[in-house]
Amino acid sequence: MSDDLKMTVDKFTFLVHGDRYYSEVGVWAFWMQPQGNNRVRVGLTDYLQQHGGDAAFVIAKPAGTKLAVGDDFAEVETVKTLLVLPSPVNGMIVEINRALEVNPELVNQDPYDKGWIAEIETTQWAADCAKLLDPPAYFSAMKSQVEKELKES
Amino acid sequence: MNGTEQKVVMVPCSGIGKPFGTVAREAAYEVCDSLRPDGTRLVALSKLVLGDDAARNLVRQNPVITIDGCPKMCAATMVKQSGGTVVSESTVFDAFRRHRELKPEGIAELNDPGLQLAQVMAQEIAATVDEIGRSGKMATGDGHG
Repeated sequence: MSDDLKMTVDKFTFLVHGDRYYSEVGVWAFWMQPQGNNRVRVGLTDYLQQHGGDAAFVIAKPAGTKLAVGDDFAEVETVKTLLVLPSPVNGMIVEINRALEVNPELVNQDPYDKGWIAEIETTQWAADCAKLLDPPAYFSAMKSQVEKELKES
Repeated sequence: MNGTEQKVVMVPCSGIGKPFGTVAREAAYEVCDSLRPDGTRLVALSKLVLGDDAARNLVRQNPVITIDGCPKMCAATMVKQSGGTVVSESTVFDAFRRHRELKPEGIAELNDPGLQLAQVMAQEIAATVDEIGRSGKMATGDGHG
């Protein structure tokens, strides 16, 4: 779970971090257990941010919002589209990344670190995690999607 | 512009087929054709990319306002690489962040919010043209000429 994966197509390079889990739609979940809590930090993947384009607004649901898997936790409005992000885990939002209110471009510049969107206090991480994709599995799904888009273009 | 009156040169994004680029060009047309036709001159970004001598001389000898579509700032970058002086950089992206209700969509034809955003930007840029005229920057636009 520590090695990053990378795919380069034409002038685009898509990075998948090896230290977290992923939903098929391109939301990552990073378990912060080593920091002594049950929080999961969530954000969008490098592929999804490049696919969506430059972010103009990032609107996350407020702290205190309870979520089931699949519930929307944030919207990212870009120059191309509106990305509605479903939660990869059950739990409650306990913190949102206030920096994105002023600098939404962080989700483009640093999607896996400074561009995190929310932290969710999980209630059943082990069960939720089992339904997510590990980095190689997400990388494979992403690669298939990229190849499909290349054929269609 | 040798020996002639200086004008503020507008260089908009060339993102043909992209809504934000289209807004940039619409705003530039509005300023150059309607709002400040006597004090401005439009230069196509593609001419700078191709190294057109007349276009390069225009941006070297006059103050330049760039109107980019996205944060990549191709127009501003190209003017600087051509030896020009950018006195004001605008992006449609930043204008949209100030006016979320005016999201540009459509390519061949901009939607109404996109056209409104172009108008908003054109008014702001026209004010910048006036400011440049008052500030004396017209006299310093030939620094690279």
